[in-house]
Amino acid sequence: MKKWLAASAVVGFALIAFSVGWAARVGEAAPDFTATDSNGEVHKLSEYQGKYVVLEWTNRGCPYTQKHYSSGNMQRLQREWTGRGVIWLTVASSAPGKQGYVTASEENAYLKQANAAPTAVLLDPAGTLGHLYDAKTTPDIFIIGPKGVLIYSGAIDDRPSTDVADVNGAKNYVSLALDEATSGKPVSNPTTRPYGCSVKYAD
Amino acid sequence: MLVLSRRSILRFTVCAMLAFAELSHAQSPAETHIKLELISEQATAPPGQPLRVGVLFRLEPGWHIYWQNPGDSGEPPKVQWGLPPGFTAGPIRWPQPIRLGSGSVIDYGYEGQVLLMAPIEGTSRGNATSIPRMSADVKYIVCREVCIPGKAHLMLAAPAGAADWAAWHALFEQTRAQFPKPMPASWKVTAAADKEHFILTMQARPQVSSASFFPLEPSQIENSSAQDFAPTRTGFRLTMEKSEQLTKPIAILRGLIVLGPGRAFEVAAPVVSQ
Repeated sequence: MKKWLAASAVVGFALIAFSVGWAARVGEAAPDFTATDSNGEVHKLSEYQGKYVVLEWTNRGCPYTQKHYSSGNMQRLQREWTGRGVIWLTVASSAPGKQGYVTASEENAYLKQANAAPTAVLLDPAGTLGHLYDAKTTPDIFIIGPKGVLIYSGAIDDRPSTDVADVNGAKNYVSLALDEATSGKPVSNPTTRPYGCSVKYAD
Repeated sequence: MLVLSRRSILRFTVCAMLAFAELSHAQSPAETHIKLELISEQATAPPGQPLRVGVLFRLEPGWHIYWQNPGDSGEPPKVQWGLPPGFTAGPIRWPQPIRLGSGSVIDYGYEGQVLLMAPIEGTSRGNATSIPRMSADVKYIVCREVCIPGKAHLMLAAPAGAADWAAWHALFEQTRAQFPKPMPASWKVTAAADKEHFILTMQARPQVSSASFFPLEPSQIENSSAQDFAPTRTGFRLTMEKSEQLTKPIAILRGLIVLGPGRAFEVAAPVVSQ
């Protein structure tokens, strides 16, 4: 019964999000969700009240995502911020048969090989979570504050390219927003244009 | 039964060797889906006029590159010109793009083939009528379902003969026909903004049955939302959803009003808040 309620809540939120057209807007309550990670564990956003939560959309075949993993930038960010108590949820919304689709065991092998360190990787092959937040690209980033309000939505940094050389010297919006928010300051760039590959949703 | 003559075996061997040579030529993965050439419209430099050159992208069916505003994903190609002293390159003239993708992620770009022209100004010392040696370093991303970044160092191609010149000239002509044009003097455009929409009102005659807006700047309109076209007594009105990424009011909405192929018009509409 509980599970059924949770599932219908997710569907309900999705329907609301679609009908209003504003999936997840900075300054407003981030839509709650329930999703399963690559170890079979269930994560519910509202259970992380009191913590900062980062959602990072991923597709390891996408050259924009690869830029941040092959340079070690994403792993560095994941380690730094989870080390400071932030919940970092990587989300894979590629549909089966599309680039970036992963099974749980494939994802776990990749995490190990890439030395990645998110709190968890949420598997979203139906694109429910992706559409709920209207994630458009990989790597698209959302940050939710301790009160459940969306405090950042957009790009990982200010260099929309696939060039690894652009990682150094880029203004990293994720660290900037978390640095500001955790020290009680307003987020100076709360909304930016996400860049990257389109999320490979089901047709 | 399969009978192979000595000649067909030889032919097969040669083909296999060529195929191997092709593979070991170390093409970048992007180049299997796109061919690039740097071409000139003229064989000789017209005195006192910019040289007309461009980077020609030929794409495998289904693949695309991006417009100056790529839309929700991707990025426009970048060209760095290698020119002799005394020459400078102007900005790329972008032909009218098409809408790409479906669902919640919409991009703007080109399929098939596109020529990105830039005016090159300057004069050669010495023999002023010859086209100077030049190169272009191009960085691009080419996408279908997946995206592949690529780069190319292009030297100005030398056409084999008159037929090539004619074909290239035709390409330049076709490209110019796809350049967005200034709005006819008799047209008027205004834009209004409410909380969630931009409403573009055009006074434009003769009456058109459809129109779409391509924003010059990203993060102004929601690319994936339908644009609502409504004819009016004097023209039409186009209602568009604002982008969720738009956080500040904008003074001028810039972009293209596209009525059909070869019918793209530059608009810059001052925005009045309602």
